[in-house]
Amino acid sequence: MIETINLNRKFGSFTAVDNLNLKIDKAEIFGFLGANGAGKTTTLRMLCGLLTPTSGTITVNGLNVVKNPEAVKRSLGYMSQKFSLYGDLRGIENLQFYTGIYGISWTAAKTNIKSLISQFDLDKYLKLKTSELPMGYKQRLSLVCALVHNPPLVFLDEPTSGVDPKARREFWQVINELAYRGKTVIVSTHFMDEAEYCNRVLIMQAGREEVCGNPLQLKQSHRVATMQQLFLKIAGADNAQS
Amino acid sequence: MTSLKVLASFVLKEFRQLARSPEMLAVLFLLPAIQLLVMGFAVTNEVKNVDISFFDYDKSHLSKSLIESFSSTDRFRIVPVSEAEHPEELLFKWKSKVVVVIPAGFERDCHGFAKPVLQVISDGIDGNSAALANAYVQGCILRFSQVMLQSRDPGLMKKDQGLDLIVRMSFNNDLKSNLNIIPGIIAVLVTVSSMVLSAISLAKEKELGTLEQLLVSPMHKYQLVAGKLLPYLIITLLQMQVAVLLAGIIFRISLAGSYPVLMLFSLIYLFTTLGLGIFISTRVNSQQQAMFFSWFMMVVMILLSGFFVPVQNMPKVIRGICFFNPLTHYMTVIREIVVKGSNLAQLRKELLILLSGGFIVFGFSLLSFRKRVK
Repeated sequence: MIETINLNRKFGSFTAVDNLNLKIDKAEIFGFLGANGAGKTTTLRMLCGLLTPTSGTITVNGLNVVKNPEAVKRSLGYMSQKFSLYGDLRGIENLQFYTGIYGISWTAAKTNIKSLISQFDLDKYLKLKTSELPMGYKQRLSLVCALVHNPPLVFLDEPTSGVDPKARREFWQVINELAYRGKTVIVSTHFMDEAEYCNRVLIMQAGREEVCGNPLQLKQSHRVATMQQLFLKIAGADNAQS
Repeated sequence: MTSLKVLASFVLKEFRQLARSPEMLAVLFLLPAIQLLVMGFAVTNEVKNVDISFFDYDKSHLSKSLIESFSSTDRFRIVPVSEAEHPEELLFKWKSKVVVVIPAGFERDCHGFAKPVLQVISDGIDGNSAALANAYVQGCILRFSQVMLQSRDPGLMKKDQGLDLIVRMSFNNDLKSNLNIIPGIIAVLVTVSSMVLSAISLAKEKELGTLEQLLVSPMHKYQLVAGKLLPYLIITLLQMQVAVLLAGIIFRISLAGSYPVLMLFSLIYLFTTLGLGIFISTRVNSQQQAMFFSWFMMVVMILLSGFFVPVQNMPKVIRGICFFNPLTHYMTVIREIVVKGSNLAQLRKELLILLSGGFIVFGFSLLSFRKRVK
């Protein structure tokens, strides 16, 4: 589904992403892990065409992202850390707007959106201005906005930051559901417990790939009990066992 | 067809957001109306109610009627003086702006003994007003002498009348400064609304992160820019209708020229200001920065536009800069159309300048607007 070859991104003399080679399969939940500033968001932004790589190629569904940005954008949904909702508009109006800018008529998108709304338990919140919604519901509505055009590929950039543990757990159920429906989900996070939910994770440090693989296998091969310990071990922290 | 629908949903969203924000609506419609009313009455080049005092050392019948002739107009307010005071002192203490000294023997001189002399001393701090006040004083004295000439006493001032000038002010016979200022205010209004609001509105999407969501959509950047600017284009043109209507009702300023021509020029000019709005927003990260930059630009544009000070009065270098200020040309056009009634053919030079300005600024801004993040 996604493939990168020698992907690099520099900001001046600072290398944010350093020679990244990736292959992400269809219907996979792929997690980008790393400390703040490790290059997760930069990579995600390059994958969805928001940022041009300094060098290297990215293909999504066989299409070069740099050369065919609009075609690629049609096939992906993106949810940023900031939950890009218009606070002064109602939930339903946000959905109508995002449907509109994808060039889809509301009637055509309605069935898909309705099922997402009931699945995410959002029905009674649609009439409210989104600035009045609790954080957890903002996050879910923001996800629905990213899914109005029913994309096969979903990017979630730290979707659970600022959300309480219960809402986080519920949100991961939603993510699982998406993968179950055949969508490829690419998620970045710095919560190590969330890494356990991914099919595969990539731990990044200073823009480079440290390890990549299935969480279970990674834990076994590094002889650690949790992803947290694995992360600390890789980060070179002395208290990796604690 | 689809791209039109995309645009429509964008414009709908912008108007929904505007309608949700009463402060914004007030800024859009109430504030310009107040601005027009307050500035329309307050900003005036006319000199009225000038404090004037007379030192009458002649104390004759003629000198008294000269003083009296000044009280018949609202341009002057006569400040009484006592003998003990000194003319310079009156100016120094801000008691009066103009002092007229009538020397002893004034009436006698008028009867032909010598050339009659009056001394006028003005407070020259505000040069323009002082010059105007002086002109009014001279006018009053001239009129007085003419009246005297035709009056019952044929012995008065029969010598050497010189030329009799007949002056007529074309297009603005009463020299109403409103006629110059109000179109200027409308020009400023159009600039401010379109440039500041579009810059802030785009910067707001940037600040809140919604722009990122738009950039990741397949929407074309032209659609994005058009969707963002179209509402402000419509609103600015609406505001203009309100302003033109108010100018007509309250200041009795009727449009001498053609209304469609005025709207055509405004539309062309808006491409420049909206283009500047996008340009500013591409260079800032927050609404505050956008506000700061657009206000700074606006002040420079207004000062160099000939709104307060005619461009011809400026040094050559500054005049060169003024040529590159789009507001200068729009200001000229709007005054020409409103006051003089100039038609499209007479304004073809300005049309060309504004068209190419709009093309360059809007084109450049569009190119510098990228569907990528930094």
